[in-house]
Amino acid sequence: MSNEYAFRKIDIDALDEDALLPSDLVDPDPRGPDGALSDARARSTETRNLVSKGDIAGALTTILTDPPYGDGVDEAKNLTTSAVLLILNSTRANDIPNVIKGLDQEQQAHLMAYLYKNMSALGSGADIPGSVLLTWHEKLTEAAGVGCIVRVMTDRRTL
Amino acid sequence: MSNTLRPYLNAVRATLTAALTLENFSSQVVERHNKPEVEAKTTPEVLLNPLIVSRNESERVLIEPSINSIRISISIKQADEIEKILCHKFTRFMMMRAEGFVILRRTPLPGYDISFLITNFHSETMLKHKLVDFIIQFMEDVDKEISEMKLSLNARARIVAESYLATFT
Repeated sequence: MSNEYAFRKIDIDALDEDALLPSDLVDPDPRGPDGALSDARARSTETRNLVSKGDIAGALTTILTDPPYGDGVDEAKNLTTSAVLLILNSTRANDIPNVIKGLDQEQQAHLMAYLYKNMSALGSGADIPGSVLLTWHEKLTEAAGVGCIVRVMTDRRTL
Repeated sequence: MSNTLRPYLNAVRATLTAALTLENFSSQVVERHNKPEVEAKTTPEVLLNPLIVSRNESERVLIEPSINSIRISISIKQADEIEKILCHKFTRFMMMRAEGFVILRRTPLPGYDISFLITNFHSETMLKHKLVDFIIQFMEDVDKEISEMKLSLNARARIVAESYLATFT
């Protein structure tokens, strides 16, 4: 196509004043990037302590309360994700149903979101055992139902 | 079905069941058009978070939901060069006959081997649980099909080589 017609390729809807941007759909984390990072640090340290004591349920409740979300908090997100992964790995398969029962609805949705996040990172060379994630996914779906997955899909506050 | 495949397929089944909640939705950008929003990507508020279910590095399913359509992309296990060729030929064969499969997409997404596109019109005319069953059945069968093709290919190659080399004895 010659330059004469290049203007036809311009997305004029994006120039509209009323155009809806993806950033308008969700409010950013109220704690701000620094607040979220320090919060995530404190929580992941506490989680590691609880895991080493063997208190899996407590650790999971701690890390799944107010997780960092939104853009610009990548470091906090990574800290939280690796802490969740640590818990997932150090839980025996028989204990999973009881641990899940101790979570409320919002925490279950967050846990599901982290399961999907870890599964999508599986191909990128990270050392993540796929079978563990699938076991957790199965048990969580049994306990929390399909609604839990719908909450992950519809939540704009991506973890 | 093997024990390691079952949890993978169960996870895909649960995610698909959750994602297949579609309704009719006309385009907000072009009047009197009705496009699958997951393909058009012109309206950010009706697109939902894409989810990936994976078993290992090579086997994964990407599910992209939106208000009136979902796109399912499957990455099939390919252990070696022969399986890669067979998988490519096999998926290409089906995708060239996509209208026979109704929900099959004509090209796969980059990084995946085969894609399906289910719109609200499909879920209105077909039963939702049967659609889910179809995808699961497909995923089960495609692995079996490719390993069978690989076996018969090797067997045929052996016969051809034997009969060719027999002329030199």
